[in-house]
Amino acid sequence: MSKILMKGNEAIGEGAVRAGCRYFFGYPITPQSELTHFLAKRLPEVGGLYMQAESEVASINMVYGASCAGARVMTSSSGPGISLMQEGLSYLAGAELPSVVVNLMRGGPGLGNIAPSQADYFQATKGGGHGDYHLIVLAPNSVQELLDMTQTAFDLADKYRNPVMIMADGVMGQMMEPVELADQLEIKQVAKPWATTGTDYHEGRNLINSCYVIPEQMEDLNNRLEKKYADITRNEQQCEGYLLEDAEIVLVAFGMASRICRAVVEKARAGGIPAGLIRPITLWPFPMEFVSKVADKAKIFLAVELNMGQMMEDVKLAASGRAPVYHYGRLGGMIPDVREVLREVEKLYRGGVGQ
Amino acid sequence: MKLFEELKRINIFAGDFGSGKTEIALNCAAKINETGKKVALVDLDLINPYFRTRLVKKNFEDKGIKVISPQGKLANADIPALSPAIYGVLEGQNYHGVFDVGGGDIGSVVLGRFTDYLPEGSFNFFLVVNTCRPFTRDAGGIIKVLREIENTCRLKFTAIVSNTNLGPATDAATVLEGYRITSQAARILNLPVAFICALEKLAGSLKDIDVPVLPLTLFMKVPWLL
Repeated sequence: MSKILMKGNEAIGEGAVRAGCRYFFGYPITPQSELTHFLAKRLPEVGGLYMQAESEVASINMVYGASCAGARVMTSSSGPGISLMQEGLSYLAGAELPSVVVNLMRGGPGLGNIAPSQADYFQATKGGGHGDYHLIVLAPNSVQELLDMTQTAFDLADKYRNPVMIMADGVMGQMMEPVELADQLEIKQVAKPWATTGTDYHEGRNLINSCYVIPEQMEDLNNRLEKKYADITRNEQQCEGYLLEDAEIVLVAFGMASRICRAVVEKARAGGIPAGLIRPITLWPFPMEFVSKVADKAKIFLAVELNMGQMMEDVKLAASGRAPVYHYGRLGGMIPDVREVLREVEKLYRGGVGQ
Repeated sequence: MKLFEELKRINIFAGDFGSGKTEIALNCAAKINETGKKVALVDLDLINPYFRTRLVKKNFEDKGIKVISPQGKLANADIPALSPAIYGVLEGQNYHGVFDVGGGDIGSVVLGRFTDYLPEGSFNFFLVVNTCRPFTRDAGGIIKVLREIENTCRLKFTAIVSNTNLGPATDAATVLEGYRITSQAARILNLPVAFICALEKLAGSLKDIDVPVLPLTLFMKVPWLL
């Protein structure tokens, strides 16, 4: 193990290299440009290819091509760039092509700004492109996790032949933390007999396509995808709980907001309020089972997000009316601070549960 | 500190991404200010949208330090906007200028336009090095980064600052090992190591070192520590 100091953006790049990714197609956009800068330097060191595409539409389609050929491949962007990629993401899902897409969210809608945000939750977890499909969505909350989960993302993508999105925000991409790098690399590349690697490498003809003009055949694919999404939902929900044992008011937050909320929970407890934290690590599949179990005991939920209340809807579904779900958010690239979230916790607790 | 009484009038900090330029520039500006000199802090970081000098503008202006950074809404943009007041610092003789340059060769492009105002011998140009960062872990890496920046901005570094740290996981051994590697590079480059940086709580435990140690106060904080 060696320890180095990394920016979140660099950790994603290093995680990709360590997962055996040798192809990156992308287009710089703040606040993820250091990721493209990093890979432009790092990929040639390991015999890989970094290519700056002419647009995000081009980069996602280059990802499609490289994935068809069986390569581990990644692209990244933020806000407007991710919106441009939605058609490509739907094609990747339809053609069942493993790939990793990074979204470092920024203030929106529209051109918005370059400050941190979590307002792309709906876009990532509920579609965004057309058709019935799901991305697997991971939400790391530290630089170490950005590194580790990028590696996990490639494994999940290959395991399920599905695009995987890593969702973080500008602060996560820009901040620096120490990370442990393993000295020995163990890359678990799976065989891809479906890939279009040429008839020297596979029997007969391999065809990769998402066009099914005959509705019966389209429905066959949809049914297969539906079964796959059910498997993923059953197997891959990931979540972290903090001080939930006796918690009456439970905060739910992912990514950067979960770091803020952890501090809030500690301060609330110091002030006599039995608070706890649920931190979803997979946003799709959302950790329904975990949140649902907590809803058996908790008296009140507070979803804290850098948006108008998007993940809150999934918390409501998981709670199924057993406990009220409130939301606290800052918008437009603003970051809630510990004091203001704590005030909200105090207000809800005194106004409801604590009486 | 004696170091800050003897500095040249113009002091420029450059280095790879995340080497610690901004924190060091802020600390140096504060230290020079304490010696009674007039100080102008120049934010030349046009590429990093977060954690940059302009965020502490108010705090530093309250100390009597002039902070030169993009004005108004440009402060929140990632566009190449430079204040004309920068020429005032370079050409006038009133202020001690502390320049915080963006990371790597990309970040140092902006410095190139000021070379005509920086005659040889008139300024300190510090390469900030953290050997715990990915591209500057050994002397070879440090020299490569130095050359890339020099070729981009067309200025020659005059000294190296040893700023090795692992953020909150830093201990005295980290700092000393970083100084050892940085010194190797400095010897090959025939440049002095001007000073070592360490957090205030560590600075006292660094003994038997032949260069000054600058105790650092951190100004940039992550949201959950505010």
